[in-house]
Amino acid sequence: MEILAQYWLFILPLFVIQLALALTALVHVLRHPHYRFGTKGLWIIIVLLLNTIGPIVYFVFGRGEEE
Amino acid sequence: MNVLEIHQLNKRFREHQVIDGLELTVPEHAVFGFIGQNGAGKTTTMKMVLGLLKPDSGSITICGESVRYGETKSNRHVGYLPDVPEYYGYMNAREYLALCGEITGLPKKRIQERSGELLELVGLGSTKKRISGFSRGMKQRLGIAQALLHEPRLLICDEPTSALDPVGRKEILDVLYAAKGKTTVLLSTHILTDVERICDHVAILHGGKLALNGTLSELKEGHRQDGYALEFRSAEEAARFAECMKSNRFAATVAQEGTAIKVQLQLSGTLGGGQSIIGLLAHQQLTPVRFEALEPTLENLFMEVIQ
Amino acid sequence: MSGYYAFLKKELLESIRTYKLLILIAVFFIFGMLSPLTAKLMPDLLSSFLPEGITLTVAEPTALDAWMQFFKNTSQMGLILTVILFSGILGTELTRGTLINMLTKGLSRHAVILSKLTAMILLWTVSYMTAFVVTWGYTAYLFPNDVPPHLELSVFCLWLFGTFLMTLFLFAATLVKSSYGALILTGAVSALLAMVNIAPLAQKYNPLILALNNTALLTNAIQPSEMYSALTVASICFPLLIAGAAVTFKKRLL
Repeated sequence: MEILAQYWLFILPLFVIQLALALTALVHVLRHPHYRFGTKGLWIIIVLLLNTIGPIVYFVFGRGEEE
Repeated sequence: MNVLEIHQLNKRFREHQVIDGLELTVPEHAVFGFIGQNGAGKTTTMKMVLGLLKPDSGSITICGESVRYGETKSNRHVGYLPDVPEYYGYMNAREYLALCGEITGLPKKRIQERSGELLELVGLGSTKKRISGFSRGMKQRLGIAQALLHEPRLLICDEPTSALDPVGRKEILDVLYAAKGKTTVLLSTHILTDVERICDHVAILHGGKLALNGTLSELKEGHRQDGYALEFRSAEEAARFAECMKSNRFAATVAQEGTAIKVQLQLSGTLGGGQSIIGLLAHQQLTPVRFEALEPTLENLFMEVIQ
Repeated sequence: MSGYYAFLKKELLESIRTYKLLILIAVFFIFGMLSPLTAKLMPDLLSSFLPEGITLTVAEPTALDAWMQFFKNTSQMGLILTVILFSGILGTELTRGTLINMLTKGLSRHAVILSKLTAMILLWTVSYMTAFVVTWGYTAYLFPNDVPPHLELSVFCLWLFGTFLMTLFLFAATLVKSSYGALILTGAVSALLAMVNIAPLAQKYNPLILALNNTALLTNAIQPSEMYSALTVASICFPLLIAGAAVTFKKRLL
């Protein structure tokens, strides 16, 4: 885990941001079960498993109309 | 002073002359019912009044100021409630009113005061949720609040009650009627009962111009047709009455439908005609279940006009 | 220009509440970090993909590589994402009808265009700056005392191009009602600029080079003075596009 120690300055913030995005998206998915397409389960998977891209796709394309 | 004056307004969409030499004046503090069939041009007219649509020719003035397409200066006198109001769903009611107030140029304190008052008035005072979670009725009510925010001289409502249930409808009509003292209301609708309920002026838009225009009482007076409706316990009784009535010298037409009879009288001496019916009933020993003088209804007037 | 300030506040509120700001900052932050990181790790990455026995001599990475990545990331993915995120800025308001109420209250049509443009440029600037600051920080950490020449100019050029692109997009949005249409139109103009770039004379004045020559400036392959014409053209286009958008929008039927 030498790389980890050496590059913690990178990995930590990256991790934090991705976590923040994923969590924000997740909370939104759970609280607002209206989506333009797809189901709640699908979006949970997308948001949690597809780093960075997942939440972005959700917020840009998958989120329900109003809001 | 007339709050709204429209002279010789014309608008054509492709082949169809939607508005054809329209003349309309709305006096101050009136509750003006603007009715017409679907597609008659009510919304088109309103859009032109608001400067959202350009007329082909004609003039529109609001409180003496001309209305010009694309400019919205005259709109500071107007509050507009569209038929399907759309708001920014991510805001809550207060935030939206604040935005409206700022755009109209109201000072911050005034916005807060008015928002509070109006939200109470329309029954949204205790809602903190975002507009995306509003029901249709709530959106309509917010619509009235935002339309009245800057205390406009003219409130224009496009089909304010069409999508509401009876409770919602009554609420909106009450609010509109209450607003009459402070402003003038122009509402378009095809729900005639609403018009009869709160409007004092009525205009029917047909064929691009006003087929009928005046205060509600004037119009009814002018179209008063003497007639009576009676209903009997059985069709036989009704038939018997009809037979006798036909030979009555006052009767112009007698129409029977099952147990119901409609009598149209020839002369406008209502009292005489009515009395003779009562005499006939007594003579024939008939007791009607219902005996009613026919008042001209808006529906009759409307049907007549659009023939 | 009634209502400009109020509507600008609303645009900014909207970008927060619709999570646009969050996404932009997060993504550009990541770009900012990835640029120096990938530059540093590139030799290791490359060699790990090569089969046994073959060694590749790759030059030791420098700050230049980091900034190269920065420009690549921000000018491609970054800009595209930003434009896509804002693609609905005018279209959705028109189709949904939220603008009508605002206009009837006295919001001037010019104010609509200007406030939306201001918001877009502000957000683009903030995001871009985020990436820049982060790259600067991490590059200073990984490649100390190594600052390529003309860095500020290069960074500025790309920023100006981004601003130009936003303005172009907004103009397109006033011409075409749908957001997709506006995107396609903007893309088409960009493609046109790319094609025109083949001619050396056009190259000099082409705003697109503000986004193409960034690395070249850093290696001194191109001199700053060669960018001035394009900078001027872009700067002139800017008010022209705004005027075009304002005029078109005023005429537009709702």
